[in-house]
Amino acid sequence: MSNLVKSRLIKFLLSLIIVSIAVLIIIFNLRDNIIYFYGPTELLKNSNKQGQIMRLGGLVSVDSFQNETDSIFYFSITDGENKIDVKYEGILPNLFAEGKGVVVEGVYMNDGRFIANKVLAKHDENYMPPEVIETLKKTGKWQGE
Amino acid sequence: MAGRMSLYIFYISNFLLLICLIASLMQSSKIINNKIFTKPGVIVLAYVQLISILLSFLILIYLFLISDFNFDLVYFNSHSEKPLIYKFSGVWGNHEGSMLLWILILVLFNFLFALSRRISERFKEITVAIQSIMIFGFVAFLYFLSNPFAINQNNFFDGIGLNPILQDPLLAIHPPVLYVGYVGFSLVFSLAIAGLITKEVDQQWASIVKPWVFSAWAFLTAGIALGSFWAYYELGWGGYWFWDPVENASLMPWIAATALIHCVLILQKRNVMQSWTIILAILTFSLSLVGTFLVRSGILNSVHTFASDPGRGLFILLFIFLILVFSFSLFAYNSEKINKINSMSLVSRGTGIQVNNWLLITILTIVFLGTMYPLATDLLLNKSLTVGPKYYSTTIAPIIILFLFFMFISPRLGWTDTKLYKIIIQLRYLIITSLTITLLISLYFELFNLTEILIIFFSLLLVISSVTASINFNKQNILVRTNLGQNLAHAGFGILMMAVVSNAVYSEERIYNAKVGDNLQLQKYIFSFDKIEQVEESNYNSLKAYFLMKKDGKLIDTFTPEIRFYSNPPTITSEASILHKFFSDIYLVMNVPQDQQSISVRMHIKPFMTILWLGTLMIIIGGIISASIRFGRFDEK
Repeated sequence: MSNLVKSRLIKFLLSLIIVSIAVLIIIFNLRDNIIYFYGPTELLKNSNKQGQIMRLGGLVSVDSFQNETDSIFYFSITDGENKIDVKYEGILPNLFAEGKGVVVEGVYMNDGRFIANKVLAKHDENYMPPEVIETLKKTGKWQGE
Repeated sequence: MAGRMSLYIFYISNFLLLICLIASLMQSSKIINNKIFTKPGVIVLAYVQLISILLSFLILIYLFLISDFNFDLVYFNSHSEKPLIYKFSGVWGNHEGSMLLWILILVLFNFLFALSRRISERFKEITVAIQSIMIFGFVAFLYFLSNPFAINQNNFFDGIGLNPILQDPLLAIHPPVLYVGYVGFSLVFSLAIAGLITKEVDQQWASIVKPWVFSAWAFLTAGIALGSFWAYYELGWGGYWFWDPVENASLMPWIAATALIHCVLILQKRNVMQSWTIILAILTFSLSLVGTFLVRSGILNSVHTFASDPGRGLFILLFIFLILVFSFSLFAYNSEKINKINSMSLVSRGTGIQVNNWLLITILTIVFLGTMYPLATDLLLNKSLTVGPKYYSTTIAPIIILFLFFMFISPRLGWTDTKLYKIIIQLRYLIITSLTITLLISLYFELFNLTEILIIFFSLLLVISSVTASINFNKQNILVRTNLGQNLAHAGFGILMMAVVSNAVYSEERIYNAKVGDNLQLQKYIFSFDKIEQVEESNYNSLKAYFLMKKDGKLIDTFTPEIRFYSNPPTITSEASILHKFFSDIYLVMNVPQDQQSISVRMHIKPFMTILWLGTLMIIIGGIISASIRFGRFDEK
């Protein structure tokens, strides 16, 4: 091996090591900040997910909406098969309504309730979050195209 | 039946697109051999390309303005009752129209470059030929896969309308500005490929590239800033950057381009880093295409996505693939021949810039992984997930500290070997001043997080250093400005970073349910809910609340947050009411009441927002100054 090739090889290997370490650090950090999305049925199957921050999506069950005070709300999210009760404190987005699609972010508690700290806002009246469509398709309740 | 007039327009506009296709084909052939078409020449063909696309773009604007619903695009994206400005901006508020705008800018850059003087004829021919291959590809895509002039046989009485969230004056100019940035890098890419083909990537090449790369960068910066500003006051979440995939898609080419402009500078000054500069040019343009692909393909669910048509996404994906394969094989083949062995001294400005290049690439990798990881798991594992914004802030913050340090020290180093301790001694007053101010800030505002303190310290150092470096007196004691563009942009970045950190630390939010007559408190301010009104506008109805902001019993301002109900298409939006003060913004949003008695109001205090925009503006102006000075100098030669 000529000297030039050798020094290039060393440089290459060295930068490869540095880059892999950097990528590893990044990926570990990434894993800590991932928020998974579940539908109600999926979530009930994964009861070991309790206590983690996650997103839950589906339709707001008809006749499930109640407010305790002006800013504490109860409703349940369904995919047509299973339901999960949600408690949320805060402001509901403009387009929140029973029977419509919704995605909430929060913690799945060990008593089976979901404490939401965010209800993700959408702007279009007919908009259905793609995750919710997927969820409904899995249970066969999706009625769109 | 479509009207006779509409039919004529249909034929004319499609004919114009075909003319552009033919002209681009002729232009491209010059890459192999310039004897096939000695006439018409490069400039004549560039004129034809520009005029044909410009005319078809004007026709499309005209169709939107007269609301000709015989055209599908107008039918789906416009409405006769829409205000004039949104009929106008509706032209690019959709997939087909925005692609036509993209092509128009592609052709415009091609034209401007074809007209530029003092460039060898062969080099210009090759550059324009490569640019024309891309024009050909995109016009063919437009013509066959997303024709904006598709006509329908129904006599629709009225159109469906433009998404109300896009009905905003800022969004009328955000896409064109962003596109000038994205597409500007197409010319830089063409220049890089032409450099590879002619094997002339040298100081001369750098001075040709410089004005183009700087102006594209300034436009991209402005485009991102406009988008961020729009999100701040239109989306009503009180934030300006959400690490949303669409925002990341525009940030990634910006990061690569920032690295690129500095490499072009070193190349011009020292004739080093040829290969790396070429790689960055290819990378920047590819990322611009990825940005377009992510936004236009419908892969991301966001307000930016107009249509989910897999065919279109596939085309852009294929295009990116071809570009990468072509340019990297050419690079592998020719890179040995463009590299000159010019070593750099270890402690020098060049090394500093090189280090920051690596840091930028690391940040780019972080953003890329965070953006692509959810897409990959969704496609491969059918698992939906989101990457929280904390991933970006915690991973990028430590890198920013190093980055700021090298940004501060590098311009102070010479191009040849410099003694680091001498520089530090020279800068001792500067360092002591920044240290004192940071300590005072930290104690006064009870800021004890090390990362935040370090970012503020180095930003401050950078700002003071850039300001003092730009003010110099010559021997006659007359003020001379040196490197104004560079220093302005660098100081702007420092200011931006300080504002970002302090904004993140000191933002405050309060949520209330309020009835008319209530008094709400936010820090030292009292907001009295005065009244609520219904207002009818031409294209929407709105519910408008009036809040009187008082401090110590004195009226300071009136806030009028709104909820707007649009009917074409039916949508509800919240309009924030914002008071911009120099040190903080006060931001009120209300939501649709859940019961009849009260409305919910969200109040934010957002410190340093004005300063944040100011820093961004300085970066943009710095870029424009650098670009225009270089244009000027270039012509003087």
